[in-house]
Amino acid sequence: MQRISEHPVADQRPAKPEVSFTFDGQSLRGLAGEAVSTALFANGIRTFSAHPKDDAPQGIFCANGQCSQCSVLIDGVTRKSCVTPLAAGLDVRTIHGLPELPAEDQAFTAQPPQSLSCEVLVIGGGPSGLAAAVELAERDFKVLLVDDKAELGGKLVLQTHKFFGSEADCYAGTRGYDIAKKLEAKLRAFPNAAILANSPVCGLYKDKKAAVYVDYASYQLVDFEAIVVASGARERSILFKGNDLPGVYGAGAFQTLVNRDLVKAAQRVFVIGSGNVGLIGSYHALQAGIAVVGICEILPKINGYKVHADKIIRMGVPVYLNTTVVAVEGNGKVERVTIAEVDKNWQPLLDTARSFEVDTVLVAAGLSPCDEFYKQAVKFGFTAVRAGDAEEIAEASSAIFGGRIAALSLAKVMGRNVSIDQAWLDKREVLKSKPGAIIPRLPIQPSTSWQPIFFCDEEIPCNPCTTVCPTHSIKLKPKLGSIMDLPYFEGHDCRGCSACVAACPGLAVSLVRALDEDFAEVQIPFEYPADRFAIGDRLPLLDQYGQFLEDAPLVKKFHNKKYRTWILTCKVSLNLATRVIGVRIQQPTATAPLAAARFEYLPDEAIVCRCERVSVGQIVRFIQENAVTDVNQLKSLRVGMGACGSKTCAVLLPQIFRKAGVDPATVTAGTIRPLMLEVGLGEILAGSGGAAAGTATAASATTTSKGGLK
Amino acid sequence: MTSCDVLILGAGSIGLPLAYYCAQAGLKTIVIEQEASWGRGQNRAAIGGVRATHSDPGKIKICQESIRILSGLERDHGLDVEWRSGGYLFVAYDEARESAFRQLLQTQKAAGLNIDWISPERVRQLSPGIRLDGLRGGTYSPEDGYCSPMMTSTAFHRLAWQAGADFRFNETVQAMRLDGGHIASVQTTQGDYAAGRVVNAAGASSAELASLVNLEIPVHPDAHEAGVTDPVARFMEPMLVDICPDEHSGNYYFYQAVTGQVVFCITPKPQIWSVDTDNTSSFLPLVLKRMTALYPRLRNLKVRRSWRGLYPMTPDGLPIIAEPQEISNLVLAVGMCGQGFMLGPGLGKLLAERLAGRGTEHQDLLDEFTLYRKFEGMELLK
Repeated sequence: MQRISEHPVADQRPAKPEVSFTFDGQSLRGLAGEAVSTALFANGIRTFSAHPKDDAPQGIFCANGQCSQCSVLIDGVTRKSCVTPLAAGLDVRTIHGLPELPAEDQAFTAQPPQSLSCEVLVIGGGPSGLAAAVELAERDFKVLLVDDKAELGGKLVLQTHKFFGSEADCYAGTRGYDIAKKLEAKLRAFPNAAILANSPVCGLYKDKKAAVYVDYASYQLVDFEAIVVASGARERSILFKGNDLPGVYGAGAFQTLVNRDLVKAAQRVFVIGSGNVGLIGSYHALQAGIAVVGICEILPKINGYKVHADKIIRMGVPVYLNTTVVAVEGNGKVERVTIAEVDKNWQPLLDTARSFEVDTVLVAAGLSPCDEFYKQAVKFGFTAVRAGDAEEIAEASSAIFGGRIAALSLAKVMGRNVSIDQAWLDKREVLKSKPGAIIPRLPIQPSTSWQPIFFCDEEIPCNPCTTVCPTHSIKLKPKLGSIMDLPYFEGHDCRGCSACVAACPGLAVSLVRALDEDFAEVQIPFEYPADRFAIGDRLPLLDQYGQFLEDAPLVKKFHNKKYRTWILTCKVSLNLATRVIGVRIQQPTATAPLAAARFEYLPDEAIVCRCERVSVGQIVRFIQENAVTDVNQLKSLRVGMGACGSKTCAVLLPQIFRKAGVDPATVTAGTIRPLMLEVGLGEILAGSGGAAAGTATAASATTTSKGGLK
Repeated sequence: MTSCDVLILGAGSIGLPLAYYCAQAGLKTIVIEQEASWGRGQNRAAIGGVRATHSDPGKIKICQESIRILSGLERDHGLDVEWRSGGYLFVAYDEARESAFRQLLQTQKAAGLNIDWISPERVRQLSPGIRLDGLRGGTYSPEDGYCSPMMTSTAFHRLAWQAGADFRFNETVQAMRLDGGHIASVQTTQGDYAAGRVVNAAGASSAELASLVNLEIPVHPDAHEAGVTDPVARFMEPMLVDICPDEHSGNYYFYQAVTGQVVFCITPKPQIWSVDTDNTSSFLPLVLKRMTALYPRLRNLKVRRSWRGLYPMTPDGLPIIAEPQEISNLVLAVGMCGQGFMLGPGLGKLLAERLAGRGTEHQDLLDEFTLYRKFEGMELLK
């Protein structure tokens, strides 16, 4: 079983009972309640089905219920494996060709959908949705929060790293999944707030009803007066030959498998994109014992926070700038990735190509807002606000403020006498700031008393080191006057307590003191498994950018439980002491390319519409042959007509029109229609008997049996 | 002022084939469309059924032509529109329906339709799993069929474009200048046009356009919703139609497309007189209840998407195909009552023959579908 048994920061989840299921008749074991896709991965199965159109192998892509690439037959019915919980005895089968409709011919008694009602429907239980729901509940609104995952928190659940920002405002220094629990607990304390987890909204209707797919089993209609759309973002697909091979998937999907489900999903990964998602995803791979072979970035600079990048670069992972992926190849699965530098028109220079052997390629090429429900609500004239990534892609810390602000502006529209604190608006702005200047730090000499050494040299919104210091000796240099400013050590009152080392989300603080004229002690943060280290072991120490400094003995190790961070103390050469910040855990050979590049450059074969398998070349030809300037016309090619409802391909279409010689600004957008995801006919007609409705909640949402037939 | 032989208002189910056949006949043809591209009015909302099985001889004639054209598009032009001659099956579960269908058979056979009564056993063979309890049989017309409305409109746009028709999208007609019972010019948001003949093929907007020349035409849209499921292996062949009303709805019908999805639609009761095309929550429970009662195994399908479209209705359920006396160069091809998709190709071809000919061709159709009829009764198989 490819499960992660040793993880430095992720909790081992409460033990789930092991159950048997079958995959194409073969008996396998998995954990009850985990996603079927996770159970398959844990059994080393990464190709789930064959596409009905051309038998192309299909695996996971979003692991988020958005695309439909992970579909399999479960007990005879096509299901997305990433949102179907494993149960004992499930008959899971590969889809080959179109599935047969089960011949269940006994009479069927239809029931009208069950009705729920609330004042404010909050769509999405991530940081912004939870924060919004809390504010609204506090103001006595009857709130119903619905979320498509079994566990609330949105992407926080996958975020095993510590957060930036400030402790007071947004739980900085706390790990994402712990923040999710805190926010959820706050909301659950309100009797006027009901929660439906594991229940995506699948449609908004003009007659002011939202359809909720409760427990992915029962279709229910919700009456509301207003909506908060906090449905987050989805990962963008990108275009290269092989972008549909099993083993190419989103960095978020990877984090779901590795951080949430604790499955060792890969052996060797290559990452596309150097934004925070790509950088953090790489770090999570390293933490799970997965080799990161490289990261490529089409822009000339790293896109994410420098402290995140430093953590990766330090481990010897190269970041290839001005570089794109030209092909991912393999026999039915990912075996090889090839990258090449780009010219000033973003076109690949094929003579710079380099190939690497990998089994997984993570796509971290940006996010697009899931804002369809907001747009529809506005079109229908509903009272609606949006928050979080659905409003603007930014950090979860700013999404918390965004949710609170959106809630209050909604309360105002709904006649409540509220005012929005200007400080909140300011904080949200700071928290969503792009990184500022890089200000190199001057060398520091060790002294005989402890002092912190800072390796953060880029302005980002972050200050936990200043608030955890018991002697208040760490301050921000007042340059910008916000938490964007860089910290420094003021005075001499450092007790060597390592609170700042443990709290720093960037792993960018060490503590140093000279022992004598030759040696010093250094305390560094460590977020990899440390049980394997014994006192006296010589650890390979690295500087900020991964330069090997020396093998030095471990003299103390201490696990800070609050921050779930190891503090390692090593005895090091005095002249190197203030440079030490890392311990090598990945061997440099892991990142070597093949001796010669090996690839075919066939960009027109990249798949745009994954559901219906339509390629770049097919769409370009269709646009040109039919003088198309309206996205809706691509439906003739079945683009956007598949199970996902164009959620994956829509964002790719502008560049295809450009390639076909049509200015995307002149192109008419596609129309959005319910349902947003597929729901069984029988489930729509199941009434209240279809599912254990609202099992995930202490539902105080009033349930009336008004019936849906009007 | 731009001049042409034929100015077609509307690039939809009627306007697109008409533009193709006019351009092919050598007429200088311009098409004005307010939407951003072709087929974006109600054509996009059609579910794709094409039948000659009507109760009216004129419609039978037009739709037989449509079937000939659509079933031959791939052969004649290499354009796949996913046509399938799956037939239409009107099922009867009660005496009233059975006798009505049997009576109609005579008219239909007399009009040359390949249609007959079939037994419950034959119904079961064509649609395994259909409810047999109470089934008396039905009429089956194997040459009827279905195809993709979007692919079809794209095909006709392409054929028309290649034949020289000029399409003007995102362009709205604002006024028509009359000069002695003749449309002297059509003014749009982009320019002025003079045309030998102006064809109103504007579907749900046709009454509004007619009012620009002070002509009142009895076309009023009502709203219908439709939906599509996920694809499964072929399990049923015909378009199934159940015209037996219940408390909340009239007829409903569904078929399995070439690509495996089941596409469905229902007529709500009472009708919804509206031009709103946004979905409502009542549709799915309404139609799915009836579908699963008729065909229980459909319960295991999944609804993928639903949408709303408009039927430009006339009081008697028959189209208006007319050259009004009041305006010498105006042609009306309107009021298709939700059947524009199946009438369009045949009507386009026949009407183009008249426009390109001496102007007397297919007079039988113009006599039958005149604007000056009494609009009484209602076509039985509407």
